[in-house]
Amino acid sequence: MNDADTHDDDTDRMLLQRMAAGDRGALAVLYRSYHGRLCRFLSRLTRRPDVIEEVINDCFWIAWQKASGFRGDSRVSTWIMGIAYRCGLKALRQHGDEPIEDDPVRDERNSAHDPGEDRELRDWLAKGLERLSVDQRVVVELVYGVGHSLDDVAVIMQCPVGTVKARLFYARVKLRNVLPALAGESITHRENVP
Amino acid sequence: MTLPNRCARAWEAMPWVLQGTAAPQDNEWLTQHLAQCEACRTEFEQQSRLRLALSLPADVGLDPNAGLDRLMARLDEPEPAEAPQPVRTSPWLSRALAAAVLVQAIGIGILGARLWSENPAPAYRTLSQEAAPAVQGAIHVVPDAGMKLADWDALLRRLGLQVVNGPNDVGAYTVVATSDAQDTLKRLRAAQGIRLAEPVDAHP
Repeated sequence: MNDADTHDDDTDRMLLQRMAAGDRGALAVLYRSYHGRLCRFLSRLTRRPDVIEEVINDCFWIAWQKASGFRGDSRVSTWIMGIAYRCGLKALRQHGDEPIEDDPVRDERNSAHDPGEDRELRDWLAKGLERLSVDQRVVVELVYGVGHSLDDVAVIMQCPVGTVKARLFYARVKLRNVLPALAGESITHRENVP
Repeated sequence: MTLPNRCARAWEAMPWVLQGTAAPQDNEWLTQHLAQCEACRTEFEQQSRLRLALSLPADVGLDPNAGLDRLMARLDEPEPAEAPQPVRTSPWLSRALAAAVLVQAIGIGILGARLWSENPAPAYRTLSQEAAPAVQGAIHVVPDAGMKLADWDALLRRLGLQVVNGPNDVGAYTVVATSDAQDTLKRLRAAQGIRLAEPVDAHP
């Protein structure tokens, strides 16, 4: 944990204390600061925006209720990601992991904001992650995307560190086998576009 | 997957070097190894691309303010009540029926015990059975046919007599004296309206 992480965690702890005292302003600050990373994290579990928002709200509803019970055994971010992970799995059981139907409005919006290179990178990543199990996708996101340590991921997923290492190892092996070919496909596809 | 030791060490170190959380010596060692190993260099480039792709913002396009409004509204909702228990009439019905059966059984038991204790002898007698023994001090009394019922009742009360049988076919009653039987017998014979008074155990 570097200095910036320590500073962020101190801020988060202060916000949690205020939430425990019933301060909704603190809840709003914490909600906004985590919204982006939770959106991205949960998008590795499901592509349905309605389910993602439901899970984020479930997560912060629980955080609001349990703020006074936070013991400080881990960073606040680890605690929140753990709640989101469990809420996400519950939502997957309830709604299934069906992909959303194509949304022209959303696609147009993303196209407008995404440079072509980012779109290519997203497609490449999405095709690679499709090859992974849910748990493998979660580990990859938490380590590479969010920047958590193995110990943090073990706390979030409530499993031994050895299990996390194994999931990360097999996810990397699988990605190593498919990503170069996917990159080739992507490049070929782009070259074919007039 | 089998890697040479040095490449395996490089494989282990890559995520943490990319995160910026690897120890400085691990960072330096990997840099040196990548300079010498093309396979690990290719792998590291792919890992860097993976990290870059994973760090792109989510493309789900959710509005945090709208979500926050919904969360705040949810906080204002009353606590969700405990899910109502499904209506289960059968256990209550079963309990009520069981209680009713129990009460009935107890009542029948008590009633049976009382009847048993109050009437131990059967109320009927067959012809082959001996006649019931006469009560000690019992008297057969035959009042006049014209004696009024009120006079008969007054006589019974005055002499302390209790009718235990009768009248039979000839109009005789069997009475029991609550006081001295011989004295009662004399007074009974002397009473007006009494045609006959004889002790039951006396042979005519």
